[in-house]
Amino acid sequence: MLKDITLGQYFPGNSILHKLDPRMKIFLIIIYIVTIFAANNPVSFVLVLASAFVLMFLSKIPAKLILGGLKAVFFIMAFTAVINIFWTTGEHLLVDVGFIKIYAEGIEYAVFMIVRVISLIIGSSVLLTYTTSPIALTDGLERVLAPLKVLHIPVHEFSMMMTIALRFIPTLIEETDKIISAQKARGADFSSGNLMQRAKALIPVMVPLFVSAFHRADELAVAMECRCYRGGEGRTRMTQLHYHTRDFLMLGALLLFMAVVIVLNFVF
Amino acid sequence: MEEAKKAASIALRDVTYRYSIGTPFEKAALENVSLEFEGGIITGLMGHTGSGKSTIAQLLNGLLKPTEGQVLLDGRDIWEDPKKISAVRFRVGLVFQYPEYQLFEETVLRDIAYGPGNMGLSQEEINRRVADAARFAGVTPDLFEKSPFELSGGQKRRVAIAGVMAMDPEILVLDEPAAGLDPRGRKEILGGIRAYQREKKNTIIIISHSMEDMAVYADKLMVLDHGHVSRYGTAHDIFCHAEELKQVGLSRPQITKFIMELQKAGIPVESGIYTVDSAYREVLRIFKEKERG
Repeated sequence: MLKDITLGQYFPGNSILHKLDPRMKIFLIIIYIVTIFAANNPVSFVLVLASAFVLMFLSKIPAKLILGGLKAVFFIMAFTAVINIFWTTGEHLLVDVGFIKIYAEGIEYAVFMIVRVISLIIGSSVLLTYTTSPIALTDGLERVLAPLKVLHIPVHEFSMMMTIALRFIPTLIEETDKIISAQKARGADFSSGNLMQRAKALIPVMVPLFVSAFHRADELAVAMECRCYRGGEGRTRMTQLHYHTRDFLMLGALLLFMAVVIVLNFVF
Repeated sequence: MEEAKKAASIALRDVTYRYSIGTPFEKAALENVSLEFEGGIITGLMGHTGSGKSTIAQLLNGLLKPTEGQVLLDGRDIWEDPKKISAVRFRVGLVFQYPEYQLFEETVLRDIAYGPGNMGLSQEEINRRVADAARFAGVTPDLFEKSPFELSGGQKRRVAIAGVMAMDPEILVLDEPAAGLDPRGRKEILGGIRAYQREKKNTIIIISHSMEDMAVYADKLMVLDHGHVSRYGTAHDIFCHAEELKQVGLSRPQITKFIMELQKAGIPVESGIYTVDSAYREVLRIFKEKERG
């Protein structure tokens, strides 16, 4: 039941995107997003869409899985498209029925928005969520944000909290399963009654879950203290991140792609 | 006078249970198992880790549904009508391993009353059952109005067990009820369960891997090995077959080993001793005989 929930949808693999340095991936995704929003003509949009599929191909993740993920945002896409079609004004009037006026620009704009959203979702999911383990992601984030320490922002502590939270999600899911089973054995009924009754039925699950979560947090804090954890100051790491040739190749490829898109903006 | 109700029996017939069906992690916990738990006695279900004990426990009260085969409660398939599975859960009580985490109410008394409360009984009946269950599980009245979260580990365990006993199930399944307790705590809990069974004359299944405990508290023992019943019988029947026990990863009680050492040393103790109490009596007997000369 609850075990089927996948977090962040990390999909283990061995592709070039999996092997990229997490820090580099964060930079790459920023460049990619900027490029998507810089595109403003049909040729660039074809390129942007093509690039999303190239990334998908590079990740070696089943296309079915990624395209399935698009279903979730189908409503948002449809909504944006409709808004754009009806509310964009331009020079080429196509339909004029009473108060409804549809312009060619509106349709063009709607198509662009859909391409943007699709590319954004495919690109960011294959660059980050599908190909980066949550731990690698927080690790990368900590390094990228490290300069903020100058401003006295506790970057290390934030990333440690994130790592711990991610670490305990499967544990808590398992625990929830156990508690639900135990209360079911005591005759708890989670699947009938009105909303109020169902919410009430969850009390016997929530209370033990919170109690044990606080308990665990306490134990973990003591265990960390026993091992002399003192925060990020002067702390070294077991796994050092190193940039490889492939990281710079990807960076180069993406920068080139951005340049092409920007140049195309001036051409058309 | 009403004739004494016959205690319920429960059985698995050709049950196969697989976890995570349709994923690469699919694994059979039980393969084609048939077994029957006799009514009106305490059966000790034993087996090493991964032998499928806990899976059986959850199959018996319908928390898990067999992939194939049937679970028969008094001869009727419990999954005959899946909508009535909660009625089965009232008839077959299950105490999980380390059941302390199921406590949630403000007071001990109210927590014990949660199960019977779900059964839709009258307040009077609930109070009676709660008092009964508290007595058998060894929850003393001074704990009644305390919060379950301020109790010690052993006390919490007793409250959790009382919570299921209070539902007065015809069949009570306990998964390692004494795990992680000191010898005194084990004795109190298992002794309480036995006293409860003797009074209610219901059917109890205790899952354990402690030979010592099961030799004392169970009427019959069932040994599981890789999802199959490898032996079933009284403590005597089971512990005669030392080699077989070793094969399934279990061993005789320590006291039995000790008695065998005494025999080897030429002391005329009887064999077939599985509990500390009987060993104590036997050793005492030999001393007395010696005195008489």
